[in-house]
Formats: sequence, C-alpha cells, structure tokens
Amino acid sequence: MRADGFSSAYGCDNFVFPFGRGGFRDRGIRSENPSIIARATAGANAVSAICCAIVHGVSADVIGIAATPLDSRLVDELAAIVGRDGIVSRPSELKVYECDGWTVEKNSPDLLVMPRTTEQVSAVLKALWRRGLPFVPRGAGTGLSGGALPVNAPVMICTSKMNHILAIDLANRRVEVESGVVNLHVTNAIKRDGFFYAPDPSSQQACTIGGNIAENSGGPHTLKYGVTTNHVMGLTLVLADGEVVELGGWAEERCGYDLVGAVVGAEGTAGIVTRAVLKIVREPEDHRTLLATFADVEAATRAVSAIIAAGIVPGAIEMMDQLIIRAVEDAFHAGLPADAGAVLIIELDGLVAGLDECAARVTEIARSAGASEVRLARDEAERAGLWKARKRAFGAVGRLAPNYATQDGVVPRTRLPDILRVIGAVSKKYHLAIGNVFHAGDGNIHPIILYDERKPEEVRAAVEAGREILAACVEMGGSLTGEHGIGVEKQGEMPLLFSPEDLIAMTELRRVFDPMERSNPNKVIPRPGSCVEVAAPRRQVPI
Amino acid sequence: MASASSGAPMRKVVDYELLFDCVHCGLCLEACPTYALKRAEMDSPRGRIYLMKALAEGRLPLDSDAARHLDLCLGCRGCETACPSGVHYGRLIEDARAFVEANYRRSLMDRTRRAIVNAIFPYPARLRALLAPLKSIERAGLRPALAAMLPRAMREWIELLPPLSGCADERAAMPPAADPGAPAVVVHHGCVAQVLANSENLASEAVLAAAGYRVVRMANTACCGALDLHSGNRDRALDFARRNVRMLAACGADAIISAASGCSTAIAEYGALLRDDPELAGLAKSVSATVRDLSALLLERGLPTMRKLECTVTFHDACHLVHGLGVREGPRKLLSSIPGVRLIELAESDLCCGSAGNYNLTEPEMARELARRKVDNIIATGADYVVMANPGCEFQIAAELRRRRANIKVIHLARFLAMALAG
Ligand SMILES: Cc1cc2nc3c(=O)[nH]c(=O)nc-3n(C[C@H](O)[C@H](O)[C@H](O)COP(=O)(O)OP(=O)(O)OC[C@H]3O[C@@H](n4cnc5c(N)ncnc54)[C@H](O)[C@@H]3O)c2cc1C
Ligand code: SF4
Ligand code: SF4
Repeated sequence: MRADGFSSAYGCDNFVFPFGRGGFRDRGIRSENPSIIARATAGANAVSAICCAIVHGVSADVIGIAATPLDSRLVDELAAIVGRDGIVSRPSELKVYECDGWTVEKNSPDLLVMPRTTEQVSAVLKALWRRGLPFVPRGAGTGLSGGALPVNAPVMICTSKMNHILAIDLANRRVEVESGVVNLHVTNAIKRDGFFYAPDPSSQQACTIGGNIAENSGGPHTLKYGVTTNHVMGLTLVLADGEVVELGGWAEERCGYDLVGAVVGAEGTAGIVTRAVLKIVREPEDHRTLLATFADVEAATRAVSAIIAAGIVPGAIEMMDQLIIRAVEDAFHAGLPADAGAVLIIELDGLVAGLDECAARVTEIARSAGASEVRLARDEAERAGLWKARKRAFGAVGRLAPNYATQDGVVPRTRLPDILRVIGAVSKKYHLAIGNVFHAGDGNIHPIILYDERKPEEVRAAVEAGREILAACVEMGGSLTGEHGIGVEKQGEMPLLFSPEDLIAMTELRRVFDPMERSNPNKVIPRPGSCVEVAAPRRQVPI
Repeated sequence: MASASSGAPMRKVVDYELLFDCVHCGLCLEACPTYALKRAEMDSPRGRIYLMKALAEGRLPLDSDAARHLDLCLGCRGCETACPSGVHYGRLIEDARAFVEANYRRSLMDRTRRAIVNAIFPYPARLRALLAPLKSIERAGLRPALAAMLPRAMREWIELLPPLSGCADERAAMPPAADPGAPAVVVHHGCVAQVLANSENLASEAVLAAAGYRVVRMANTACCGALDLHSGNRDRALDFARRNVRMLAACGADAIISAASGCSTAIAEYGALLRDDPELAGLAKSVSATVRDLSALLLERGLPTMRKLECTVTFHDACHLVHGLGVREGPRKLLSSIPGVRLIELAESDLCCGSAGNYNLTEPEMARELARRKVDNIIATGADYVVMANPGCEFQIAAELRRRRANIKVIHLARFLAMALAG
C-alpha cells in the first residue's frame, strides 16, 4: 500500500516536462512529504527559526538575479560542449536521478550533464552562469544525506565520465585523479606496488573521490590514517561562474590559508572539483585482525576505550551489534557468532616486529573488558571475510526492511555506552528497529534506523528518531556528522550545534567561492524548505 | 495491490515485493558492464530496478526508452555479486523481460532478429541444417569472401561463429567406464553447444572420467531454456525446464554439470522457476540441488599427474559461473596446479565480455564494445592462452581477437585440462 502524501513527491505530476513552457516550477520538495512535516515539527524550536531568518537576511543580496528558463537552446548549447551522449533530458530517464542513498526526499533534475574534462565543466558552468541557473554536482549518488538531491537546482552535473587516473607518482606518494574516479579504483591501481589510498568508506566500491572530498568521507582506517581531508593535497576547482582555480598542489607543506581544507567537506557548495592530488600510503608490513565477542554493546565499547587508553592505535576498530550481526550472517555467512550481543573487529597493522605482542595485549584487554572470545583471523581469506562482512553490513540490513536511514553522529569515545543506551531507548519509543555498526575507535556512530517508505508514520518516526539521537550526540559534546555530511538531511539540526553567528560566518566563507550560491544551493546551512516554518522570504531562483 | 501514488493502477511487471530489497545504495554501479560503458544510471542495476518500480506503479509508460534500458541489460548478474542487500536481480529482469515481450512492439528489424534467434538457436537440428551450407563454403575456403558480401548485421553474426570444421559434431564414444561405485556425473550437452562446442562437452566428460567419475549421458538433450528466459519467452522456457527436469532426473546422476555456465545456472534455478508447478516442483528442486561445477568436482577427487605445459594463461570469469554459481577460485586452482603453467590475473576478469547468451546477436553494438574492452585487458596480460568455462564467451572473445589479429589462443577450461592430461 503506498501512501499518497509521501509518494506524490515523485508521482506522475513531476513528469511534466518543463522545457519550452517558459519556465520551471519551484523545485522545492513538496510539503506533503512526511519528512518535511517531521522537520517542521522538529524544527519548531525558536533557535532554528531565528537562525534561518538571519541567514536569509544575510543572503538578501542574492535574491535579485534574473534566471533564464531552461530551454532547448540551452540543451543544444550544452550538447555542443559535452556531446549528445553527455546529456540526459527526458523526464522519464531523469527519474533515476531523483535521489541518492538518502531516499526520504526525492526530486528530479530538469537536465543532467555528464562532462568529460575540466574544460567542459568550465564551459558548462559558464553557460549556466549566463542564465543564472544553479546546479547540483553528483558523483556516484551513494551519499546518505541527500547532498546530490536537486533543491532549486535544475541542472545536475555528474562526474561519472571523469574517471581517469591521471598520474601515479610512487616516489612522492601521490596520485592525481579526476574527481569521478571510484575510491576503490585508486587503491586497485597502486596495490601491486604495495600502496593504498587510506580513506576507505564502506561504499568504496562505488563512491567517487569527488563525493569523498565533498563529504570529507572516512572509513574504518581513518582512526589511524585520518579522513579525506588529511589525504587531499591539491584540487582543481571550477567555480560557479566557470573559472578554473588550482588549490594546493603536490607539496606536503604549504603556506597561507588552507583553501583546500575549506573545499574538502563543503558538500559541493564551493563549486565542482574536477581533479585532485591525493596522498597515498604504504601498505603496512603485516596485519593482525581480531574478532572479539561480547555479551552486549556496553562491554564492547568499554573494551574500545581501554585499548586506546593503553596507548595502542589499531588500524581500525569496528563495532557491530546483535541486529547487524544477524543480518550479516544471514547474508554472507561470514562466521560471526550469531548469538553475540556485540562484536568488535580490531585490526592492528604495522611492522611485523611487535605485532604479535600487540595482538596479545589487545586480546588481554578485551578479555578483561568482558569478551567471551577473541579470535585471530588465521589467514588472508579469513581477514577478507571479516572485512567483507563489515563493509557490506549497511546493505545487508536492506534484507531486514525495505528502507533504512543511517545516522552519522559523533560522541567522545568515552560516551559511547551512554549514546548506545539513548539509541536503545529511542528504538523502543518509536517502535523502530535500530542497528548499530560503526567506527568505534573515533566515536563515530552509525545507527541504522529501519523503516518502510510505504508507511508514512514510519517515515516520520524514522526522521524523528534520527533527530533525537543526533541531539543527544550534541548534548554529549559530540557532532552531527562524522562522515556523511549535512546535506538536506541534517540542515534542520545545524542550529543545535552552531549559533546564528556561526552559521552566518559559514555562509560568508562559502560565498568567497560561490557568491551567488549557485553551486548546490540550499544545502548544509538551514534554509527555507528545510525549516519550513519560516515562510520563505525568497526563492533561490526567481522564475 | 494498492494503486501507486499517482492513482495509476499497478501493473504486474515483476514480483513487486522483491523491488524493496533494493535500498538504493548504488554499490552495484561499477559492477555493471553497461554502466561501466555508458556511465549513466538508466543503464545501471539501480536505475533498472527503479525503472521496473516506476513501470509497476504505473508512473511510467512502457515506451521505447524504458524498453531500451531493459533490453540493454546483459543479464550478467554482476550486480547480484556486488549487491550487499541480496537483490534477486536475475529474477527481476527475467520477469521484466516477459512483461516487455507481452506489452511492447519492437521495430521490424528487432523483431526479425529476435524471431530468427528464437526459431533456430534452441533447436540443434535446425542450427545444424542452417550451418550445413556454410560448412561447405568454409571447406572451399570461401568463408571470408561470403562474410565480405553480407550486410553488416549478418557479417557480424558470421564472424562470431568458430571455424566449423573444428567442431566435433558427432557423439564421440563414451569415456572408459570407471569404478561402478564412483559417483555418476552427467554433462548437459546444451543446444548451441552440442552443435558448435561439442569438443567442450566431450573434454568435460574426458576429464571427469580421468578424475574417476562415472560419466552418464542423457537419452536426449533439449535446450535448458535459459535463452528463452533471458529474452522474455517465459512459457517456452517453462516447457524446456519441465522436459529437462524429467530427463535429468531419469539419468540418475549424482551431479549435473554443463560446459556452458549459463546452462548450469539455469538448471540450478529450475527449483525456483518451477516452484509453483503442481507436478514437478519437488523434482525440480532436487535436480537443481545436484548442479555442480566442473572445477569443484575435479578438485574433490583430484586429477592424475598432468604433463608440463610451459605457458602463461589468464582466466576470464564467465558471468554465470562467477555471478550465477559463485565459482571463482576453483578454475584458477586447477590451472595453477598444472606443471609449467603460470597464471596471470586478468583485469576486470568478471566483467561481461558481451556474449551473454544471445545478447551479441540482438544487441551487437554494446556487445562489441564490451568485447573490445575485454580483449584490451586480455592483450594487456600478454598471456599465451585465455581460458574460460563457457562456449559463448569463447566465440565472442575469439572473434574479437581474430579482428585484432592477436595471437592469443582461446580455450575452454575442460579442453585445456584435457590437453594437460593427454599423453
Ligand atoms: C552502503 C553505504 C555505505 C557508506 N559508508 C560510508 C562510510 O563508511 N564512510 C563515509 O564517509 N561515507 C559512507 N557512505 C556515504 C557516501 O558513500 C559518501 O558520502 C561518499 O563520499 C559519496 O560519494 P559519491 O560519489 O556517491 O557522491 P554523491 O552522493 O554523488 O554526492 C555527495 C555530495 O558530494 C557532492 N559532489 C559529488 N561530486 C562532487 C564534485 N566533483 N565536486 C563537488 N561536489 C561534489 C554532491 O553535490 C553531494 O553534495 C556510505 C554510503 C552507502 C550507500
Ligand atoms: S545483470 Fe549485468 S548488465 Fe544487467 S543490470 Fe546487472 S550488472 Fe548490469
Ligand atoms: S547494490 Fe543492491 S541495494 Fe544497492 S542499489 Fe544496487 S541493487 Fe539496490
């Protein structure tokens, strides 16, 4: 049974082809969408409202740009730049681009452009700039916060055809890639020489370096090696007006302000990244991968704190709770203890000398924290099996429910037991199953909230539950996102963490790169449409 | 089923509930050959599933775009291997194809192409009759001349055919009887395979016998139905499946294999296909459960000492072997166990070569692009042999290697093993 209110957000009426009608409709996500209703209630606190008003006040100067409607002349012009096969304009085909991995909200772009080079991106953006048209960048669309959702951005620019590795410089430990290169393909290209690209999101088999840069993505190995921003040395960025700028470079140390750092994590609001110089790392000499079994998540998190307090920095410490263990076992038979309350996958890496002693210490610590069993992966196949189980855990959960929303909060490591208790309580309160699988080493939690999009009350409850968990993270001194970004999903929660002044400062920083807010408009900073109670004082594109 | 949001009535396109296994994560994108080439989501698994959903909910008409994106799918199931969420893509696309066949009228050219394929390929006698004159032309050394005279579409079909004089057409003698207590194995000889790749069938039987299995034969071999299932002819596919279930059950084998991995997968899925069959559901399930893979059987009992073959080989993973049956390591282990053989890993070894059943006949352009990509990777290995376990892939890859005048030999796993065992 489909619910009318929710699914009309992607119902037939959206198929009306806007070209040639002298304009396009408001792309604002329709207000019947229960998630928006949820956000409206959620965002009903005064701070959020005030902050929206202030931020929009600041951006009043952007209101007056005249936009030319998307017409067939534009399509021809863009096709001349990228070729016909680089353009998708049929509404039925654009449907598949109406959402990314965050499926709660949907909205098709009016046009999709797939450029092949920096020059093409620049020429495309110039053409859009002349018409005052905003755009939304997209990589592989694996994002979990709706970053690639078009909101008042009629044109989507996808980097899927910019997928070449341009240079590999092992001596200097650098690779230069186009932004549409898939994360795992970077490692695949250098693996034989004993190197790898350290930030390894679970989606690495599909997500792009451009998306990683936009979201400042991390993965299991970021505990030891750092997140994306620690590995991006230089960028080629095309600004919204088509200007191509080079930031940073191949050198390790740079002087002046860290502009690369400002663009990494900007979620596509600074322009389109077309190339990146990445730092690569030598494969450690060896690994020891341990699987520790606990009766409950609390004991497991105690072990995490104890390991790190002992001065050991594992390559990764990942936790899975019972719900996830069961899902993974059903899906892959990875050999996890199906009746355990929680497991930790702990990977130690480095020089062979000392690794075994280190593994013995970790085993001891885990045991005294309550582990009933600590098992060492005997060979590479067993190790690969454990990692496969971990990396594919999100997806395995798809077998339990038609939809899931993955939250991505951060708490100080020592508060992990507290936040897990909160998650348990939230799960009961909203009658929704919530699984936990996360990078325990850095306190980055990923509660996975299961729901069914065909039941509007469940969608609403899922959004509410997520919000409540995030609020608790912030209360414990944590943050709203560890790696998935704010996107549209968590815009409404930004005021929990930031004052109106903070948000204004961020908006001003963004405008250094994109003064007219044409690149991925309406993301990150709360906006009307995300906090709907502020009757929108302006629309992004006057039409 | 309730109506979709738009108020449009639901349509029976696929098993609707199965669509909800897809959580829209996108992890399957790069595993999909058509996405790898086109780089657009409509030609990706996630996009096709979305399309099926929109069709089912009546939000999209079945127009030429929709049919196009579904047609372009190779049915290779690379997406199933990549998908963490357990989406049953194979079942989805088979049903979606049947829906397209029943509700969409193709261009005359497409219809003709498909009609020819459907009328001839599943029937060995018809294929033999059709090829007989070509065989004489080939004997007279005129095959290249004939190819040059034909229009492009037909020329490409002819190019795909292996040299017909090399095809062991007749039924060879059974391999020597083994210990009567040994497990019995039947090799399903296939439809196209028994005409064009019989030496692969015979070699499979020979190596099984060498490993000490008792080889039995089916009284009569009918097409397994995979070709029909993949092109939306569900009813005939069910007919073929029923006939095969009866015949396979009758031959009393402990294990069923096929030299064509597409057939193995199809037989392994009879249980699911005939699950609602009042008479044969149970038997189909047990037949499916006996499907094994050649390499697994050979590794289980072990092969006698093989002679030294001083050469480099690379292994191409046929889609239905790796994605359908999940066989990846076995063939590599066997190859590495041959003295003198050095195995070089093939880049993108599990990306479809474009053969995909009769796909290279119905979608020649995409098939050709994939063949080029596959052969680029094969040439890059510098190997002497490219080994695979599916005749369809052999034809496709050999044709492309011939066009490039590359001196790499294409050979079926069973024949390569037979070569190492001989003498
Ligand atoms: C199953 C699953 C597991 C995941 N696991 C992790 C994980 O462990 N760690 C983690 O960090 N994330 C994870 N993610 C989230 C997601 O994969 C990452 O955010 C990833 O970096 C997104 O990359 P993408 O190419 O898919 O980008 P998209 O989803 O296409 O886009 C993401 C954002 O980046 C912007 N963008 C994309 N390309 C560019 C560009 N070239 N220039 C400027 N802006 C651009 C888009 O506008 C959007 O705002 C997971 C997602 C899934 C579905
Ligand atoms: S079966 Fe193959 S071609 Fe079809 S969607 Fe899956 S991966 Fe792509
Ligand atoms: S990997 Fe599976 S669940 Fe994810 S988008 Fe592809 S088919 Fe859907």
